[in-house]
Amino acid sequence: MAHKIAVVGDKDSVLPFKVLGFDVYPSPNGAKARETIDSLAQEDCGVIYLTEALAKEIPDTIKRYDAEIKPAIILIPNHQGTLNIGKKRIQENVEKAVGQNIL
Amino acid sequence: MSNGKIVKVSGPLVMAEGMENANIQDLCQVGDMKLVGEIIEMRNDVASIQVYEETSGIGPGEPVVTTGEALSVELGPGIISQMFDGIQRPLDTFREETESNYLVRGVNISPLAREKKWDFKATKVVGDKVEAGDIVGTVQETKVIEHRIMVPVGVSGTIKSIQDGSYGLDDVVYTVETENGLKELSMMQRWPVRRGRPFKQKLNPSTPMLTGQRVIDTFFPITKGGAAAVPGPFGAGKTVVQHQIAKFSDVDLVVYVGCGERGNEMTDVLNEFPELVDPNTGESLMERTILIANTSNMPVAAREASIYTGITIAEYFRDMGYSVAIMADSTSRWAEALREMSGRLEEMPGDEGYPAYLGSRIAEYYERAGRTLSIGSEDREGSITAIGAVSPPGGDTSEPVTQNTLRVVKVYWALDSSLAQRRHFPSVNWLTSYSLYLTEVGKYMNQELEEDWAKMVQHSMNILQEESGLEEIVRLVGIESLSEKDRLTMVIAESLREDYLQQNAFDDIDTYTSREKQFLMLDLILSFETEAREAMKLGAYYQELIDGTEKVRDKIARAKSISEDNLADITKIKDEMKKTIHEIVAVGGMTQNAKRV
Repeated sequence: MAHKIAVVGDKDSVLPFKVLGFDVYPSPNGAKARETIDSLAQEDCGVIYLTEALAKEIPDTIKRYDAEIKPAIILIPNHQGTLNIGKKRIQENVEKAVGQNIL
Repeated sequence: MSNGKIVKVSGPLVMAEGMENANIQDLCQVGDMKLVGEIIEMRNDVASIQVYEETSGIGPGEPVVTTGEALSVELGPGIISQMFDGIQRPLDTFREETESNYLVRGVNISPLAREKKWDFKATKVVGDKVEAGDIVGTVQETKVIEHRIMVPVGVSGTIKSIQDGSYGLDDVVYTVETENGLKELSMMQRWPVRRGRPFKQKLNPSTPMLTGQRVIDTFFPITKGGAAAVPGPFGAGKTVVQHQIAKFSDVDLVVYVGCGERGNEMTDVLNEFPELVDPNTGESLMERTILIANTSNMPVAAREASIYTGITIAEYFRDMGYSVAIMADSTSRWAEALREMSGRLEEMPGDEGYPAYLGSRIAEYYERAGRTLSIGSEDREGSITAIGAVSPPGGDTSEPVTQNTLRVVKVYWALDSSLAQRRHFPSVNWLTSYSLYLTEVGKYMNQELEEDWAKMVQHSMNILQEESGLEEIVRLVGIESLSEKDRLTMVIAESLREDYLQQNAFDDIDTYTSREKQFLMLDLILSFETEAREAMKLGAYYQELIDGTEKVRDKIARAKSISEDNLADITKIKDEMKKTIHEIVAVGGMTQNAKRV
């Protein structure tokens, strides 16, 4: 079954994704982003790209979907540059899976 | 009367020859000291007699005299509030007469005080036709119990004389013209303990016996006329459960048989009961209690009899139309007494040395419980609820006494030592206990409370069962691996366990919970669940809910200490809880679906 891909973040960062055909949800703040993600999760969304800037504000929401199969929340940098949260999460997950940081 | 001669003494078992005229179950006077004994086996002219008193100093050659009577109890006014030993000797009087704290041998005391006068009020008049079981008059024995004087079994005819007045137990109170001539009758009658008193019909028990203990009344209810077993290892709280039921159950009369347990436990009863007030009548509990004590240092043979003495007294009051509860603490000691006698009789032992007839003896006892219509022309409904503690050695309930008991009782309250160690009292294990009356009681409660009580109970039980499954996962991979929904289930289950099931028997308010309060408390916890689940659906996070409701959950936990007079406070907590959760949803929840651009 096909799932949708959504992008959540500040307007400037997410609009370009519209070109690729992703569903784009601009969110000005954390609370709005959280609401969006929760609602998307219920709507059968497969992957959510979330900007790091917003992710910093809503760690609870991200943690909530960590153990779920979907949606997979992938952190992306926003137009102002990266905060390195996304990379750190990948490294942590790798460490959890393999036992040591091989990256 | 027949005179025999002792040939062998082995502890409480005495064998005597020359007894060819005696019958089995006859009472005897054994030896020069005239100890009380009962014939339990006959082989030709040799009788095996179990002696209800200590037999040291008795030797071969001493005489044995049978009385030709079976072991009987005296039933009449003066029986309530008394403490008897296993063969119905009043211990108070015993102490006064012998001036000893221990049982002195060969003392003959009448079970009921003869000199005391009772005010008899006749309810029948001269010329009335009566049959066995009919009530001819009443005596207000204590403030709560009206002793109804019944025509003894086997007597029927026309009343020739009857009059109000003050009588002693031996005085003739009324006379009945029977087919075999005039019979003079007093307020007292005798009944052999090993025979059940007759009744007209046995009815199906359906009304619950409320005990004020939440775990029992809610999850494992017992009906008036039912039978329950409380098995549990040492220190799990069998005695406390029994005492609590004796104190707070909504029956008219309680017979408490302390059978082979510590003497201090009976002392506790003697100290506590007179001071405690029965929530149903407002009078002292002692006014409705009869105690039968055969503590562990009292003769073993009398232990065997104490259970029968107890249930016979219970049957007598059942026949008057009362609901009676009989507690036996503990039936294991009684079974051990059977085992000791059986061993000395050199019978072939069954499982674990218990006699092969253990099962039938246990069944015989529990089958005397029940809801019945009494004999006589008026149909009086009475009930006996039998609750027996079982002390399986090592807490292993696969031993014969527990297993044989479970075969006949319909309610099983399994006390759990691991719960007791965690200080969860009453330590009734909600996963292994059961009550086969749950459906009947559920129907009754639905009607009484006008709510779907049965459904609430079923739902709560499901949560508790789910918790035990989830706990396994948590032990393996940690709480983090659970979904938020399951973590909420764990919280609700914890609340059920700690705020509802746990009940402090030594707290003045918590010790008794009425039916209405039980409903409100359970409703409070379950509405918290409904609200919380709803909030989660609306987008509130588990962590937010838990942090946000901390205060109100604390209040839910304290609901048990709200006194019966302020039950509206529980409803207030419910409103407050709903408000708190709504606030949480307003802050973090979803108010609308995500908007795409």
